[in-house]
Amino acid sequence: MSAKVLVRDLQKRYAGVDAVRGVSFAIEPGEIFGLLGPNGAGKTTTVECLIGLREADSGQLEVCGLDARRHPQEVKQRIGVALQSTSLQDQITPREALKMFGAFYRQRTDPETLLKRFSLIEKADARFDTLSGGQRQRLALALAFVNQPELVMLDEPTTGLDPQSRRELHDDIVQMKQDGCTVLLTTHYLEEAERLCDRIAIINHGRIVAAGTPRELMAQRRGAQSVRLVTGRPLDLARLAKLPAVQDVAGKDNEAVFHTTAAAEMLGALTQWLGTEKNEIIDLQVRAASLEDVFIELTRDPEKR
Amino acid sequence: MNALLQHLGISLRLHLRNKMALLYGYLFPLIFLVAFAVLYRHERIPLLRHMGELLTVAVLGGACFGLPTTLVSERERGVWRRYRLTPIPTWAVVASTAIARYLIVLSAGLLQLGLALAIGMTFPEHPFDLFVAFTFVAFAFIGLGLVIAALADNVPAVQALGQCIFLPMLIIGGVAVQLAALPLWAQHVSAFFPGRYAVEALQATMSGSGLGGARFSLLALALSGIAGCVAGAKLFRWDAQQRFSARGGKAWLVPVLGAWLAVGLLAEWRGRIAIPVDREVAPVARAKVEVPPATITAEPVAPPPVESPAAMVGASASTDTVTPPPAGPVAVMTPPAVTPVEPVVPERPLTPPPPDPLWMHITQKEIDALDYNLPPDHGIVSPIAGRDEEAEDYMRDQVESVRSKLPFWPPGTDGDDLRCVRNLLYVAAVPDAIQLPVERYLPRVVFEYLIDTYPREKLTKILTWIAMTPEQGMVIDDLSDLGVEGTAGDPMVVRERAYLYAIKFVARLTGRVEE
Repeated sequence: MSAKVLVRDLQKRYAGVDAVRGVSFAIEPGEIFGLLGPNGAGKTTTVECLIGLREADSGQLEVCGLDARRHPQEVKQRIGVALQSTSLQDQITPREALKMFGAFYRQRTDPETLLKRFSLIEKADARFDTLSGGQRQRLALALAFVNQPELVMLDEPTTGLDPQSRRELHDDIVQMKQDGCTVLLTTHYLEEAERLCDRIAIINHGRIVAAGTPRELMAQRRGAQSVRLVTGRPLDLARLAKLPAVQDVAGKDNEAVFHTTAAAEMLGALTQWLGTEKNEIIDLQVRAASLEDVFIELTRDPEKR
Repeated sequence: MNALLQHLGISLRLHLRNKMALLYGYLFPLIFLVAFAVLYRHERIPLLRHMGELLTVAVLGGACFGLPTTLVSERERGVWRRYRLTPIPTWAVVASTAIARYLIVLSAGLLQLGLALAIGMTFPEHPFDLFVAFTFVAFAFIGLGLVIAALADNVPAVQALGQCIFLPMLIIGGVAVQLAALPLWAQHVSAFFPGRYAVEALQATMSGSGLGGARFSLLALALSGIAGCVAGAKLFRWDAQQRFSARGGKAWLVPVLGAWLAVGLLAEWRGRIAIPVDREVAPVARAKVEVPPATITAEPVAPPPVESPAAMVGASASTDTVTPPPAGPVAVMTPPAVTPVEPVVPERPLTPPPPDPLWMHITQKEIDALDYNLPPDHGIVSPIAGRDEEAEDYMRDQVESVRSKLPFWPPGTDGDDLRCVRNLLYVAAVPDAIQLPVERYLPRVVFEYLIDTYPREKLTKILTWIAMTPEQGMVIDDLSDLGVEGTAGDPMVVRERAYLYAIKFVARLTGRVEE
C-alpha cells in the first residue's frame, strides 16, 4: 500500500524568509507520525501546506494518493484536522456544530456517534462558551472526524490542557490508530511523541534533521547516557572534562551535567578523582538518553553548542 | 446546497441566541421608531412619511453593523479558519451569511412596520413594491457590510468604520434628517450615498406613486449592491493576519467607490439633486413680484368662500391620506380625487361678485371645537417665541427684515383676506418645517402683523376657518422674497404646521393662551 502522505522537497518562503527548505517525509497507512520541532522551525507551515491553508512554492505533496497542490478541495474531503485551538461561535452547541460541519462533506458520521465517542453526550446541547478547555478540544477532535477521514492531522492538540484531559486525549489518539486511521501529530511535548508516535521526524530551520522510530532516534546518541553530578565542594569542570569517556560537560560550582559513552569506566575514574580531591558526592544520576536529549541535541543553536 | 442551508440555519439560530445582536438588530430600529413617533407626533398619520427613513435605518444598522460585527468576530476567534479546513467554498459561506442577514433585516423591517401600523399608521400604498424596494435596499447595504467586514481587522474597527458611514448617511445623507432641511451642498453630497436612494425608493412605495417613480433609486441601489458584493467577495479574508498586499490589494475598493461616484454623477447629470417638490406646491414664487398678482397668487382666484376644485389642483396626491378635521363643512371635506391638471386660472371678468365668505359664518361653537391640544411653544414643532423674547444677535437682522417686508409681500396683501391670512401663516410654517434657527421668531412676527392688520374677531374667524380646512389652497413653500432661504419640499408638512399655527393664534386671540 502506498504512503498516506508523501512530501518531497517542499519549499515555502514568506516575507523573504525561507520557512520550509526542502522538507521530505512519508507517512504509511495506519501509523501515528509525529512532526516535532521548536517554534518557528517550519512544522506548522508544512502542515498548513498539506491541508490547503497555504500554497507551497514548490515540491511534491501527495495526500491519500491525491496531488494536494492541484486538488486541495478533494484532499479536504478525505482528511480531518484539529488545530491547536479551535474556537467556534459562543452560542453554538456541540451537536449543532457536528451537524453543520457534517453537511460540508460528501461522507459524514452521525453526530450522536461522535458525541458518544468523544464523551460529549452530557454537553451535547451546552453552548460552546460554557465548555471547558478539554471539552472544547474533544469537540475539535470530534469535528475532525465528521467526514470519516482516512487521515487526521492534529496540530498540538494537547497544548494548554491539564494532565487529566491530556491523558484522555492520548487515549483518543491511540483509539484512532486502532480504528485504522492514519494520524499526523505535531507536538512539542516529547514524552507525548515518545509514547504515541510510531515514527517521528524532527524539523529545525525548515529542514528535517532526523527521522525514525523513537527508539532509533534515541539510539542515534550512540548509547550515550546522561549524567548529573552534585558534589560537596565546587568542581573543576576543565579537569572533569579530561576524565575518560566524559563528553559535553556543562554546569557550575558544585553541579555538572555531561554525557558518557562508557558509564562504568567513567564512574571508576570519577570516584577515584573525587576521592583524591576529598570532594563528597551528594548526588549522582546516570540514565539512558531520552528523546528530549536527542531533540535538544539536534535543535540546539549551533553557536550555543 | 445542503451545506449552505445548514450554515444559513445555524447563522439564524445563533443570531436569535445572541443578545447583543438582538439589541442591534431589533431594539435599535425600534428606538428610532419610537423617537420618530415622538418627534413627529403632530403629523396626521403617524410615521407614514418617515417609514422610508425608519426602514433604511433598520437595514443600515443590520447590514453595516450587525453583519460585519458577526463576520469579523467569527473571523477573529478563528471560526472562519475552521471553516476553511472543510471543502465548503468561500462563496457559499459568504452567500449564506448574506442571506441570513437579509432575513434578519427583513424581520426587523416587518417588526417596525407592524408597530407603526399598531400606533395608527395607514397601510403602505404599494405593499409589493415596498417588498421589492426593501430587497434592493438590503442588497445595497449588505454589499457595503461585506466591504466593511473585509476592511476591518477587529470588531472595534468595524464600529469605527461603520460609524463613519452610518452617521454621515444619517445626518447629511438624507436618512434621518430630511434633505429639505439641509443646505444645497449637503443635498449634492447625499446624491453620492446610497442612503438617500434607499429612503426615496422605500418612501415612494409607502406613500408615493410606487416604484414607477423610483426607478433611478432602484438603479442606484442595485449598482451599489453589486459593487459591494463583488468587492466584498474579492477582499474576503479568512483571517485577519492575511494582508491585502498579497492579493491584489485594496484595489477592489475602487469599484465600490466607483459605483457611488457613478450614481452621484448620474444624479447630477440628470438634475436629480434638488429634492423633488410636490406638484401641490404653488409654482415657484419668485416671479410673483413682477407679474400682476391676479394670475400668480398663491391661491388661484376662485369664487370664495367655497374654494373650487381648481383650487385643489394636484392635491389628490396627498388628500387621500389627509383626514379633514371633523368640524369642517361637508362641501369642502371631499376634495375631488382627480388626476392633477394644470392650474386653471379663471379669467377675472367671469368671477362673480363674491358673496359673503363662509368664514364669516363661523360660530363661537366652532371656535371652541378646535383641537387646542397643541405642541409646546418652545418645542421643535410649531414653536413661538414669547412676546418679550428677543432673537439672538445673529438672527435679529433676518427677523427684522421679514418684519419690514411683510406688509409689502404680495401673497400676504393681494387678494381676499382668507388667502392672505393663509399665505401669511406659511411664513411661520415653512421655517418651522425646515427647522431654521429663526423658526421661533417669525411666527411671532406674523402673529403681530396679523393682529395689527385685521380686526380681532375677523381674524379669529378666518384662522378658525383655515384650521377647519387645512387642506385647501395652494401651499407657498418659497419665502426667498422675504429673505428666508430653503424649501420644505413637502406641502403636507407645511399645511400641518400652518394648521397648528392657526390654532395657536386663535388660542391667543381668544384668551386660551395668556401672553
